[in-house]
Amino acid sequence: MKLLVVDDAPEMLKAFRDILEAHGCEVYEAENGEEALIKYADMKPDIVLMDILMPRLDGISATKRIIQGDPFAKIIVISAVGKSGLEKECLVAGAKEFVVKPFKVRELLNSIDSLVKQ
Amino acid sequence: MKGIESVRGYQEEIIEAIPSTIIVVNRNQEVLYANRNYYAKSVAKKERDVLGERLSRVIPPFLIEKTRIDDKIREVFLTGVPFDGDQLRYPGGMFYFYKIYPLKEGEASISKVVIFMENITELTRLEEELRDSYVKLENAYDELKENDEMKSEFISTASHELRTPITVINSYIEMFEEGMLGELGVVQREKIQIISSQIEHMIRLVEDMLDTSRLESRKLKIHKSSIKVDEIARKVLDELSRLSGLKEQAVSLTIEGPLSEIEGDGRRITQVFNNLLTNAIKYTHNKGKINVIIRDEPYDIQVSIVDNGIGVAKKDHSKIFEKFFTGNGSSLTRESGRMGLGLAIAKGIVEAHKGRIWVESEIGKGSTFIFTLPKA
Repeated sequence: MKLLVVDDAPEMLKAFRDILEAHGCEVYEAENGEEALIKYADMKPDIVLMDILMPRLDGISATKRIIQGDPFAKIIVISAVGKSGLEKECLVAGAKEFVVKPFKVRELLNSIDSLVKQ
Repeated sequence: MKGIESVRGYQEEIIEAIPSTIIVVNRNQEVLYANRNYYAKSVAKKERDVLGERLSRVIPPFLIEKTRIDDKIREVFLTGVPFDGDQLRYPGGMFYFYKIYPLKEGEASISKVVIFMENITELTRLEEELRDSYVKLENAYDELKENDEMKSEFISTASHELRTPITVINSYIEMFEEGMLGELGVVQREKIQIISSQIEHMIRLVEDMLDTSRLESRKLKIHKSSIKVDEIARKVLDELSRLSGLKEQAVSLTIEGPLSEIEGDGRRITQVFNNLLTNAIKYTHNKGKINVIIRDEPYDIQVSIVDNGIGVAKKDHSKIFEKFFTGNGSSLTRESGRMGLGLAIAKGIVEAHKGRIWVESEIGKGSTFIFTLPKA
């Protein structure tokens, strides 16, 4: 399973890599929305884990752009902001799921596994 | 007898006693009368210098220039409509206010007008001071509001920024616990559990901080759906049973009557139960008693959380619901690991549901925290 993780915090990217590689995934990284668009086109990952607040291009706009190019893209937004209304905004943008930090690793992996089977 | 009739015969004394300046002039603007106050103000002038003189010669020339009072008098004679007053600034910062009234004699035309002049220097000064103070107050308020918004903004940003490092730490702890990073020995497992529970505590503190900033900026949103209060209570009691078990406390739940379902935010009401029960456990001695009573009242569901713990002093009954209040206010004696936000958040949530929350308690005899949730 190929995953693209998008987050501007290097420590978070490292943690994602450790979690996902231990789960047997192939992991690609992007540090902002713009980079995510390029990596998505190159790697065609099965799933994208997308942060929201990032420099250059934010996660919601990046989600919209990816979905425009690939309506079947499976994107899980992982937000540090739990503001009400934000979840809806992300789902409207085309994300399949909205997860608030800090998440439970087990639950995140379950979500990834069930989403990839859809 | 009408009021005015009882003073007929005293008009002269009354007019002379009025502390304003009164001048009566005829159509040619010749002075017919000036009251005592006028002479008191113009020490140099005697009655014989004034009566029959033109008004322009008995009041300062600049006053005529500035007010065009002569034109206004002509206007009153012409129209019969009183001139209802204007302000006049004297050099040296004096302020006067004047009015002109026509005096009719029977049905005939107007033959005289009366001019009232009032020194309003003091009044004007006070008014200006008041206006100044008001502006200062308004500026101070704006500044305070800005500071407060900055503070809320800071809390909100800080709590969001804390989430990423917490998530990273939490993820590795979970990976250790799940054995994803190799097998742990008994000692390592035990220490990881300590880190884990401390991180969970930190997450709760960050969430509390965020909720407080939401309450302050009125951004705490309630998402209502049909909820069963007793189910929420059972769930929270179950989650906290480990904590109360450690202190060997007897925790019970009493439901009085069939409970109506109500419209509310399940997640937020869970938080209210959680905050109140965590307090009850914390402030009740080992082997103490905690009872949760849920009652179906005509208009609301009433929840009482009764403990036989240390209690709350009467003077603190309303203060404990203020944010950052942690007992007697001394940071040395306050309970560790608390920011004094739990009850403030509970109050905010209950009030957002249009309910009420209060405490009945006596030091040493335990506390009863009560909140209501309206049925409609």
